[in-house]
Amino acid sequence: MDLTPLLTSDQIITYALNGLSNGMILFLVASGLTLIFGLIGLINFTHGAMVALGGYLTLVFVGVTGSFWLSLVAAIVVVSAFGLLLERTILHHLYEEPLLGFLATFGIHLVVEELLSFRFGDQSRSLTAPFPGSMDLLGVGYPKHRLLIIAIGFAVALVIGLVLTRTRLGLEIHATAIQPDTAEILGVNSRKVYTLTFVLGTALAALAGGLVGPITSITPGMGTSYMVQAFLVIIVGGMGSFKGSFVVSIIVGQITAFGWLILAPTYVELTVFIAAMAFILYKPRGFFGKPEVFE
Amino acid sequence: MSQRSAGLRAYFSDSYRWLWIAFAVAVLVLPAVGTNYFVGVFTQALIYGLLAISLDIALGYTGLLSLAPAAFFGIGAYSVAKVVVDWGVSYWLGFPLAVVVAAVVAVAIGYGPIKRRIGEVYFVLFTLAFGVLAHDATYVATSLTGGSNGLGYFSPPSMLGVDLGGTVPYYYFTVLVVGALGIGLYALLRSDYGSILHATRQNELRMRYLGYDTDREKLVAWVLSAVTSALAGALFVGTVGLAAPSMMSFQLSGEVIIWTVVGGTGTFVGPFIAAIVLHIVNNYLGNVWPEGYLIVLGILFVGFVFLLPEGVMGAIRKRLR
Repeated sequence: MDLTPLLTSDQIITYALNGLSNGMILFLVASGLTLIFGLIGLINFTHGAMVALGGYLTLVFVGVTGSFWLSLVAAIVVVSAFGLLLERTILHHLYEEPLLGFLATFGIHLVVEELLSFRFGDQSRSLTAPFPGSMDLLGVGYPKHRLLIIAIGFAVALVIGLVLTRTRLGLEIHATAIQPDTAEILGVNSRKVYTLTFVLGTALAALAGGLVGPITSITPGMGTSYMVQAFLVIIVGGMGSFKGSFVVSIIVGQITAFGWLILAPTYVELTVFIAAMAFILYKPRGFFGKPEVFE
Repeated sequence: MSQRSAGLRAYFSDSYRWLWIAFAVAVLVLPAVGTNYFVGVFTQALIYGLLAISLDIALGYTGLLSLAPAAFFGIGAYSVAKVVVDWGVSYWLGFPLAVVVAAVVAVAIGYGPIKRRIGEVYFVLFTLAFGVLAHDATYVATSLTGGSNGLGYFSPPSMLGVDLGGTVPYYYFTVLVVGALGIGLYALLRSDYGSILHATRQNELRMRYLGYDTDREKLVAWVLSAVTSALAGALFVGTVGLAAPSMMSFQLSGEVIIWTVVGGTGTFVGPFIAAIVLHIVNNYLGNVWPEGYLIVLGILFVGFVFLLPEGVMGAIRKRLR
């Protein structure tokens, strides 16, 4: 029997790391979505637009300051401020009406995306990585920026995980998610908690948009495809489950990285979609979702 | 006799009806006064009106927000194109095929979520996944759909000695089909069945206690909506002669949702008119300022959701009441 391995070990490491870095970007998008959905119950369709906005603002600020990190931070701040503005002026009125909330965010998403394509055109742009080139890892040369994305993804997961489980704010978020009225009586300012969560989710989207710039192209529609995938991730991971979005993002990243060996790439995507549909039907709380609680 | 004329007078004194008669006359004489280009635009506008009605059946009457009207629209378009281009059989077979395929897919997609009562938020996400799946599938299943090239080109055949390939004949054909379907659906939704749907949307539990099988009613409405979308798609493909993946795109679904909400969900007429007006605006604004249409549409839409969630038609009706 011919036992020539399909892949060399170098290739396996490269694919796995590709999957991991793509999974981390997906996680940054999905975690924001799942926080907002889990706490507020809002299907936040502005999320994709925030990713794209984060990407473009980073691009613009890089042109001004020349520093990727400064620009990324500035972009996150601006996008968060925009999220704060939206939440305070429009969205918080619609929390009781999930369908209207979805429709409003859908409209905002459309406006932002079209304004971006109006201002920057439809052709894709790209960013230069702050640390170009690759470094040696397990005997494989691997792009530094992707490794950085992996590190940042883990760091964000750790920090937010700690905030949710170890801090007063995390406790208040849990309490508000479970029983807003009771939480309010016990002195939680639920309005503030909603706003903070929304802004945090938006900041994560902007971070994803800026970080992904050097490895893929920046287009006005870049956020939409991430968002749609992220929705499916949080369905499978459990709506509102932070841990779920982390684990499932990594799994989806690996499936897309290795799946094409068996199936064409589009089929891999289709399989993920079908899995998500099955989850909605038979296990709507996903793998990790406990009702309305996330950690 | 006098009673009848009184009835007639009451019929015509209703200003609302006058509007409809004026609209019908305008539609019928349009080819005589409008340019060929405008007739073409208006043909598509009418078809989009039908598509908006189909979403209103699901969203406005039944409370099921579907993010996949374009998927069924595409099913209709591809059915007709498949029949003509790949199988080389009669164009007319495309319509029954569209109805059958759309109904089967609608049952397959809708049965689980409706039966398991997964809730409106999950229904939105379920149809989002289905819509993207259908769109992706058109690229992958190349032997069935022709991939990104789509299926084309063809033009509608002659009927009763009139060549439907021309802009004006196809316009009248569209008016006929959209008119018949629109009036038929309107009558259906004004009947007891429409009341059942309205009541179910407002208080499903009570309707179940009253002995209605609400799951079945919702499923029937869902299939009806899907079939109507598919018929709109089947009509639409005749105007461009090509079934392309963009007909299944999420963007089209989004536009349909906007038309429906701006027009007023659950008002039937509102979405129809809104789709026609907004499509025409799109066409002319699109020539001057391509991105402008979606920006304006988006702002308009957010404004509507926020300030006037019942839509234009809903607001008018509320004022009249």
